[in-house]
Amino acid sequence: MNLSFKGGIHPLRELHEGKGKTSSLPIQDLVPEKVCIPVDMHIGAPSAPCVKKGDLVKMGQVIATPVGGIGIPVHASVSGEVISVGPRQMLGKAASTCIEIANDGKDEWAELYPLGSAESAPVDKIVQQVKDAGICGLGGACFPSHIKMMIPDGKSVDTIILNGAECETFLTADHRLMLEEPDRILKGLRVIMRAMNVFFGVVAIENNKPDAIKTMKEAAQGMEGVRVAVLKTKYPQGGEKQLIDAVTKRQVPSGGLPIDAKVVVFNVGTAAAIADAVIEGKPLISRITTVTGAVNTPCNLRIRIGTSFQAAIDAAGGCAEEPGKIFAGGSMTGLCISSTEVSLTKANNGIVVLNQKDAVKQQATPCIRCGRCIDACPSRLNPQYLNVLNEQADLVGMKKHNVMDCTVCGSCSYRCPAKIELSASFKEAKEKITARRV
Amino acid sequence: MKLRLSTGPHLLDRENTQTLMLDVLIALVPTTAAGIYLFGTKAAWVLAVAVVSAILCEYLFQKLTKRPVRVMDLSAVVTGLILGLNLPAEAPLWMPAIGSAIAIILVKELFGGIGHNFMNPALLARGVLLASWPARMSVYYIPARVLGVTEVVPAGTDVISAATPLIRPGGYQLYDLLLGNIPGTIGEVCKIAILIGFLYMLFVGTIKWHIPVLFVGTVAAMTWIMGGDPLRAVLSGGLLFGAVFMATDYVTNPMLKVGQVIFAIGCGILVGVIRMTKAYPEGVTYAILLMNILTPLIDRWTSRRVYGMVKKHA
Amino acid sequence: MHEKKLTMRGVFVNGIINENPIFRLVLGICPTLAATTSATNGLGMGLAASFVLLGSNIVISLLRNLIPDKVRIPAFIVVISTFVTIVQLLMQAFVPALYDALGLFIPLIVVNCIILARAEAFASRNSLLLSAADGLGMGMGFTIALIIIGSIRELLGSGTIFGTALFGASFEPMLLAVMAPGGFLILGLVLGIVNAITDRINARKGAKV
Repeated sequence: MNLSFKGGIHPLRELHEGKGKTSSLPIQDLVPEKVCIPVDMHIGAPSAPCVKKGDLVKMGQVIATPVGGIGIPVHASVSGEVISVGPRQMLGKAASTCIEIANDGKDEWAELYPLGSAESAPVDKIVQQVKDAGICGLGGACFPSHIKMMIPDGKSVDTIILNGAECETFLTADHRLMLEEPDRILKGLRVIMRAMNVFFGVVAIENNKPDAIKTMKEAAQGMEGVRVAVLKTKYPQGGEKQLIDAVTKRQVPSGGLPIDAKVVVFNVGTAAAIADAVIEGKPLISRITTVTGAVNTPCNLRIRIGTSFQAAIDAAGGCAEEPGKIFAGGSMTGLCISSTEVSLTKANNGIVVLNQKDAVKQQATPCIRCGRCIDACPSRLNPQYLNVLNEQADLVGMKKHNVMDCTVCGSCSYRCPAKIELSASFKEAKEKITARRV
Repeated sequence: MKLRLSTGPHLLDRENTQTLMLDVLIALVPTTAAGIYLFGTKAAWVLAVAVVSAILCEYLFQKLTKRPVRVMDLSAVVTGLILGLNLPAEAPLWMPAIGSAIAIILVKELFGGIGHNFMNPALLARGVLLASWPARMSVYYIPARVLGVTEVVPAGTDVISAATPLIRPGGYQLYDLLLGNIPGTIGEVCKIAILIGFLYMLFVGTIKWHIPVLFVGTVAAMTWIMGGDPLRAVLSGGLLFGAVFMATDYVTNPMLKVGQVIFAIGCGILVGVIRMTKAYPEGVTYAILLMNILTPLIDRWTSRRVYGMVKKHA
Repeated sequence: MHEKKLTMRGVFVNGIINENPIFRLVLGICPTLAATTSATNGLGMGLAASFVLLGSNIVISLLRNLIPDKVRIPAFIVVISTFVTIVQLLMQAFVPALYDALGLFIPLIVVNCIILARAEAFASRNSLLLSAADGLGMGMGFTIALIIIGSIRELLGSGTIFGTALFGASFEPMLLAVMAPGGFLILGLVLGIVNAITDRINARKGAKV
């Protein structure tokens, strides 16, 4: 019996979630000629650049220092000369300050300060090391990891879940990582468990990745407190709340955090990065990204942070057709880019290129009350009624009917036979409610 | 290079309103075929007139009122066909035409078009026809042909009218009830065909089992409690057709599962009460229509537990 | 209140069109539904109500300065019921068939809200002649509405208008039209059509201005 949650959908089932093209391709390294690293990749205040044009930097050297309580530093992902420091248009935001570095091709590391092995690293220094390595959630949210690792007063945690569900369509980055580097992930998990003094660690994987489940189970053999949980393949199985529900049968209270359910969730990629930071002293300068869709040779790439979308698409053989839409992430929640010159950040687990035909907007027709959205909603909301309220611009009513619990997973919009943009309008409503303090 | 920007999801399910309606039409194929086989070409004409006039009414109304023409979503075809299947084969051809006009214009378009009708259009049209021309609507015709080997219907005779099997429940063999060798409307007689349609819709996910099963189950239970034969009560009359194809209309039944359960059981109780008081031999039409009217209230009074509405784990 | 000075003609036309009791004010729906199973019934009910309206408006207008405010409603009812009794006796004497057809709904004219509403809103505040014009206009408006609805229902439900068969023998009347649900349906549809026409006229007027 595979673990699951109530609601959810099976997106792109006929295409095997779009993952077939890349799930069996090994990770390739992509070393770009230059990188352009934004200083505001993580949630929290943007870091302050501490290099200037003309400086020579080494790989892993800090190029921007953290500002404020939850800030993290930014590191050079290649060695070479800083070409410019200034504002650039980045993914879906106002212009960000970016540091552009030309790669000299030497890949010279800055001086590294490892703490020791996963079992011997001093517990009290791990959190600071994770912060200094600039690690944030690699699943997409980019929440600074060291904050998650500090348990606030009065709370307790009994389980760490590593999220290897990868329920989003098209993406195979986590899948490949689990298959190729299970030890890195598990060492990271042990480091986290030790740092947080937690005895149970669970690696949760959807059952559409039997090879990854097998590999992880073998690697976890004999590790105390660590097990692999097999999840039903369903979107959004990897949503934090759904994952916690599936694995622990506990629910995160409305408006609360996972820690209120005594759980902290990390992405498998984050765990691997934490292992690198603690055991080898290496900061987070690269990540795995799937490049797929209408490209000539879809692939899984280990990219340096700050590589441009264009360089990644070129590494995948370029676009196979005139692209109509390109987004970072899977097709359910991916963010569209307006230009391929923007950089890949720590959050980007995939690039999907859609051809002109697939990018066409489908015209909405009237709701026929079929109830597909209600069955799909993993937050157990009533999207149909929320849509009625939204058409009446009734923000108070929407809030009363729990629109703030919407995770904007897109399940309702995906299933809607009338092609109504449900989740997009809920996202807008949530932003308005927050802004106007309804 | 011009890239389109939008919020996800970027790829949508292939299912749309048209494919949903197409699935209902496919599910209606066995029933339609059985009806035409049993009742002959007259039945085919009734169905054809019902469907064509439903399409025409929708097209003309939308053109005249300058609304977007949505005939291609096939919902008018479904409405027309279901209405036709609800008529006796001997109905004069103006009846399906008037019925379709009532269903499409009065019930559907005047209330705002697809998704806004407060009652099942085909069913209300049947209700109007039933109240307006009771003599034509409540005479049930014995099929011209029979399915399987049976001696019940005298061969070679012209169409004969008879009372609905509900009035003389003991009068027919079970396999006649199943195959449709009984008097009734075009669509309701062949239960096997209806069940095939039901299984198809379940299989492709057009509908869920709750409403038809609970509806029929409630009627069976009520009949049993009152000392009747539940199996015959279920297989006689329009109960199965109504439960499978009309009570499951998305627009006019509740949104949440708990509401749908209330709706289905309510339909079943009403049918039981109408049949028991013998005010009217059938009752499926009025039972569903009444529950259609209660749907907004049921929707209002039912809710489900939202994720995270739990006690905090201290 | 309107700034414009009220004229007899204006008040009369107002009752038929702008403030037609059925189509615009949607008052007196109970007799409307009950008495419109045929055009003749509609006409009879309309005329009876018109007579009561005219009479009560005149009398109440004459007495408007004498009736104490606190007891005005009972006083109005007394006046109205007097006229209703007159109508009832007259109809019983001269048109017994119509009297039987309308039955209970003739005495119920007493509580017809159109009549009380006009007494309260118009006759008790305006001069004799204006009140008479108002009573006549409202009565005509009511009668016309009843005849329209009654004709449609009779035509559909019996195939006749004022008892004259319009279609051949093969016509099969739509029973629903002369039943209560048909009354609601047809009233609703006629109201909708009137609203649509008025909207169009108003839009045209608006476009000119």
